[in-house]
Amino acid sequence: MAPTGLRAVCLVGLLGCVVSPARAQLIPIKTVPIAQGDQFQLFPANNLGMGSVSIALADSLADPFSNPAMGTRLTGSRFFGSPALYSVSRNAGGGRSLPLAVLARRNLWYGGLALALQRVDPSRPPRPDGFFGFGVAMPNSFNDVVVPDPIPAPDTRAHGNEYAFAMFGRDLPGSKISIGASAFWTGLHALDGVDLLYAGSQRVAQDGHALDLRLGAVKAWPGEQGDRFLEALVLRNDFAATHTVTYADQFWDPGLQEFRQRARIEHNVDQTQTWGLHFKYTVPLTSAGWRIGWIGTLNRSSHPKIPNYELANVPAIPRDPGYTTAFDLGVGLSKTRGRASFGADVVFEPIRSYTWAAAEARMGTASGDTLAVGAKTIENHFRFSNALLRLGVGHDFEVSGEKKLVGLQLGLMLHSIHYTLNQQDNVQDLQRRLTTGWMEWTPTWGLSLRFPEFEIRYAGRSTHGAGRPGSSFGPVAWAGRDVALAGGTILAAPNGPLNLTNVNTTTHQISLSLPLR
Amino acid sequence: MTRHVRTLCILAVLALIACDESPSIGGGPESLDAQLRRQFTQWNIVPIGEAPLQAPAMVALGQALMFDKILSGNRDISCATCHDPTEHLTDGLALAVGTGGSGSGAARTLGVGRQFVPRNAPSLLNSAIGLPYIFWDGRLTRFGPPLPDVVLPTTDLLQGQAMLPVLNRREMRGDKGDVDVFGNPNELAQLDDTLQNAIWQGVMHRLVAVPGYVTLFNAAFPSIPPTSLTFADMAKAIAAFEMDAMMKTGSPFDRYLARDNNALSVQAKRGGVLFFGTARCSQCHNGPFLGGREFSNSGVPQVGPGVGQAVPLDKGRGEILNFQFYQFAFRVPPLRNVELTAPYFHNGSFATLESVVKHYNDVSTSLRTFDPSTLPASLQASYHGDIATINAVLATLDSRLQTPLHLTDAQIADLVAFLKSLTDPAARDLSGLVPASVPSGLPVR
Repeated sequence: MAPTGLRAVCLVGLLGCVVSPARAQLIPIKTVPIAQGDQFQLFPANNLGMGSVSIALADSLADPFSNPAMGTRLTGSRFFGSPALYSVSRNAGGGRSLPLAVLARRNLWYGGLALALQRVDPSRPPRPDGFFGFGVAMPNSFNDVVVPDPIPAPDTRAHGNEYAFAMFGRDLPGSKISIGASAFWTGLHALDGVDLLYAGSQRVAQDGHALDLRLGAVKAWPGEQGDRFLEALVLRNDFAATHTVTYADQFWDPGLQEFRQRARIEHNVDQTQTWGLHFKYTVPLTSAGWRIGWIGTLNRSSHPKIPNYELANVPAIPRDPGYTTAFDLGVGLSKTRGRASFGADVVFEPIRSYTWAAAEARMGTASGDTLAVGAKTIENHFRFSNALLRLGVGHDFEVSGEKKLVGLQLGLMLHSIHYTLNQQDNVQDLQRRLTTGWMEWTPTWGLSLRFPEFEIRYAGRSTHGAGRPGSSFGPVAWAGRDVALAGGTILAAPNGPLNLTNVNTTTHQISLSLPLR
Repeated sequence: MTRHVRTLCILAVLALIACDESPSIGGGPESLDAQLRRQFTQWNIVPIGEAPLQAPAMVALGQALMFDKILSGNRDISCATCHDPTEHLTDGLALAVGTGGSGSGAARTLGVGRQFVPRNAPSLLNSAIGLPYIFWDGRLTRFGPPLPDVVLPTTDLLQGQAMLPVLNRREMRGDKGDVDVFGNPNELAQLDDTLQNAIWQGVMHRLVAVPGYVTLFNAAFPSIPPTSLTFADMAKAIAAFEMDAMMKTGSPFDRYLARDNNALSVQAKRGGVLFFGTARCSQCHNGPFLGGREFSNSGVPQVGPGVGQAVPLDKGRGEILNFQFYQFAFRVPPLRNVELTAPYFHNGSFATLESVVKHYNDVSTSLRTFDPSTLPASLQASYHGDIATINAVLATLDSRLQTPLHLTDAQIADLVAFLKSLTDPAARDLSGLVPASVPSGLPVR
């Protein structure tokens, strides 16, 4: 059995990808069950149709993008393209990606380049025109009525993102060690789902970038039952984006004596910096074809600035700095026998996150004290106990000869999110506690055709259990907000019951791989 | 291989049974800000925009007219007498004192043989905000029937309001046989009540005889000869002055509406949550003005000389529209700057905001146990506290007020704190609006 790939935190469904364009080893955080499009499913993976199992089952296609040192498994050079399409049900969004990549090896050196272009549709339905008010508008009987600024129409255009990936590595002969480094840069103009978090906004213009740097190593110990592997990775991920949000605020115009709207523009900055450390160890079991693996991942994120998200006309309480410490502790089991393979991963994901709001002006508190400028007005302590379960099976069938194979895959990912929020309101001198959670289900499937000249893979997955505000064109029941979303991670502290309209996000990816001679 | 097939089937079944419920999460108690913002949406509470700029010449003319007693039959009372800037554009009295009175503000007293104006003088603060009903009984409105006895030459409510007090004998015109402050006959009072146009023309006749007004007219209406101007033009100038000088919407509450979460104290926020929630105030006091859009029988004690056919009682809106619902119902007042406009209700029967909130805490008991000694001495005799009157008022009590609120003293204090957050600091001292003199030369105060 081939060694497994190094994808310690195989990101579940859509949301994990939001954390970073570079997959894996970055632990997603989400406090509200908002469905997010699978926009970062850019590169092909062997196990995509098998629930993305990754701990004990190798994925020679995807692993180099997670840990550059895994490029050591490249046996030759190949070109691939993997166009992907994702959509959110109820016409709530979608996107298209076209990545092109080359992975190459020469003697002890290996490397890769990838570029991708993407278009992301607006993730909210157009709003109906017109607003109503009470009464009858009176004719303007006054002079010099100031006409409010025109309000831009909702932005219904798709916006593009650009991706560039580069990696290289070298085997160290004799030591069975390989080291590699990679860089993944993203120019972001459309992060799926972000505009949903500015309820009532007319349009959200995004402009940002992400840079993901990784340094990895893998050490192999040959054995009779198979090789043992220890993989290690250090990563640094910087995410920075600006959201220019245009709102159409309703107000009463005393001159015209009617309700009107005027534009309000807010600039929100979203910044997150993450350091990550990841280890994986896999060993063969005594029984033929079985392997077991363990992972340990640590992410330490700081959120220098978190956007002032707004949910359903509940204006923002500014979220200022915060930090998060997240762990993934997992075990995986796999079996490969002949042309059949099976894999299962179980990951426990404890996360601690602390965010707060700072006073912008001196504030009196309920107890009669005064908070100075910069003092913490609200403190949010999140404690997550998330769990991931991934299962997948696959089988290749021979078609008219040994070198032509048809593969079928089926899998399921479960992501259980459960957290407790302890919030301290230093202004109202109140404490509150919220314990909540939900489950997201992602069935996956795949089909592959492998010929000596090329490979074609199709993989799909559909995530259920999350929702979107307003996607059913009905009233939105956001009761409140205390939001911190950093780098795509949603760190909202709900102020009250939250109901979303259920949507499914479905992703289809077709990858074509050609060996380069 | 069989095991793999079995596993595949299990996974497929799991995928099929994956729940498809709408995702939701529970929540702890909402923060005060979250509750308030949600309540704003529920009750259509939106910010007030800037008042449109007015032509300075119109404002200057309007200011002169507002403070000039020449508009009154006896030349002894101006608009500003009952809408006194030093009293926050009301008079501080429970019931207004019209022509023949003496003194100013809360110290103003009735003249010999005169009666109180039957209702409290509403403050002109934010009178130009666009209220759909004017006067306590809402008789001037863009919705309902036209005035029964006056044909206004304008559809603008603010201008229309400015034209009516000069017609009212008790307020400004005087009684037949009156003489003015100079001992001259009050020619406006001699006119029959049905001759509104003649009365307005009479006022204009006075104005065009004053050179100072001719100058102001020429500046405000350069294309119209002064002799061709009408009192509707004067009303337009008064309305311009009200729009220019009396719009005060810069309260902490307004800043909070404009997204400044620090604008309200915690106590005011608690009061606001009560106001829009369990205290049920917003069931009437809603919309951008926090009221002003409907009528309610709030179980207010009957005080004063009464109005119309119900004299000595005052049936309010019921005097105009003889529906059961409107009996003893009065316009729900808008609440911005309410802290400054005591006493409260249509007859000023409650002197403080605390007493008003306590009244709403249990309206029926409050009415039945009303202590007339809390009224000004000059009005105590006109309190109609007989059981028949009380029962008549309670018989049509607004259904929203029939259940006691059971507010605690702390909650009442919170509500009052919220009501005080509706005060624009710029409205606290309006003495700058009082001109040193007016074109007629009559005393301003």
